[in-house]
Amino acid sequence: MKTMEVLAVLIIIGAITLVGNLVGANIPMIDAIPGMIFLIAISIIGVICAKVIPVKIPAVAYVVTIGCIVTIPGFPGATIFNAWAQKVNFLALTTPILAYAGISIGKDLGMLKKTGWRILIVSCIVFIGTYIGSTIIAQLILKLIGEI
Amino acid sequence: MIEAIKNWKLHILVLIFVIIAEWIGAFSFPIGPGTVVLLPMLYALIMGILSGPKFLRLASQKDMVDAGSLVGVTLMLLMAKYGTTVGPNIPMILRTSPALILQEFGNLGTVIIGVPVAVYLGLKRETIGAAHSIAREPNVALIGDIYGLDTPEGRGVMGVYICGTVFGTIFFGLMATFAAALGIFHPLALAMASGVGSASMMTASVGALSAMFPDMADKIQALGAASNMLTGLDGVYMSLWMALPMTEWLYRKFYRLKYGTQPSQTAAGEA
Repeated sequence: MKTMEVLAVLIIIGAITLVGNLVGANIPMIDAIPGMIFLIAISIIGVICAKVIPVKIPAVAYVVTIGCIVTIPGFPGATIFNAWAQKVNFLALTTPILAYAGISIGKDLGMLKKTGWRILIVSCIVFIGTYIGSTIIAQLILKLIGEI
Repeated sequence: MIEAIKNWKLHILVLIFVIIAEWIGAFSFPIGPGTVVLLPMLYALIMGILSGPKFLRLASQKDMVDAGSLVGVTLMLLMAKYGTTVGPNIPMILRTSPALILQEFGNLGTVIIGVPVAVYLGLKRETIGAAHSIAREPNVALIGDIYGLDTPEGRGVMGVYICGTVFGTIFFGLMATFAAALGIFHPLALAMASGVGSASMMTASVGALSAMFPDMADKIQALGAASNMLTGLDGVYMSLWMALPMTEWLYRKFYRLKYGTQPSQTAAGEA
């Protein structure tokens, strides 16, 4: 995965997101551009970190970590960074991702047929199991520490 | 990937889907005590699936492969956004960290209800692969490593993996809205539970929750992202040290309950 190729993809996705951000969240493109450039910059720095640092950590981990550190209250520029990022709506970012994912899922539909209905039911059950299991514990502990 | 970047037809198709999806906008309707929210990301996903050669034939085989090669990179911007959501909320995340850490054990819920159902449905050793986790990439790798993917256990984990890939986002989005609509669980508890180790499933759940509770949206997103990172870190160890031994044990118990005999450890094949 070449860094320049990643940058090209990020710019394409960024542009599509800005359109969605305008249509869905009513945020003018001109207002959201600094935030988008900021997010692209974080992503690219993360990708470069994963390349340069010899420890085997995936790029997404660096990306999240960098995004987190530069917006922690008190970090130089955190207030501005945070204000930029807020202009890019979270849901607007998800729409193009799922459009690409949806198109790519088409090729897995054949495999799905071979899987069988019993596995499909078990899949639904395990999704519910992990979700409800975690929710119940989280709810109890949050109550216990008085957060909710 | 250079091929996929130059596939302008694909990008234009995505742009059109995004515009349509965002133009429709979030759609909510009351159900029971709460509200169910359908989001533009869900419409975009469905339009994407329907665009394939089996349905509308807007996307070719090449477009599907190209799209697949780009999904990993498209997630980067969202991850950067998650980072910037977590940062300002670090004090709250530290405050809730006991809940955040302990709810990780809730992921064992897959075993507790998954094994009985799988055995009841007549699955044999497939149960081990299918019910030990939600079968994302690290779990598939782990089962492949221990049993091999060409075994019943491997078929089990691959089956759930494929179902998760195809339906996972839709399922998690709807499950989150229904669970929230029940009105028994706090949105922040549901947000923590959303981090199951898959960025797209977490996003679907967190997206639905933040649309339902807009005044808590940034907290919901921050906790979902933090919990997902945590699962990314502990997921494999949780599976290896706790979920797999539990699955094997429960499988033997329920097998005997259903068939009256102990399962033979080696005999794999059936169905």
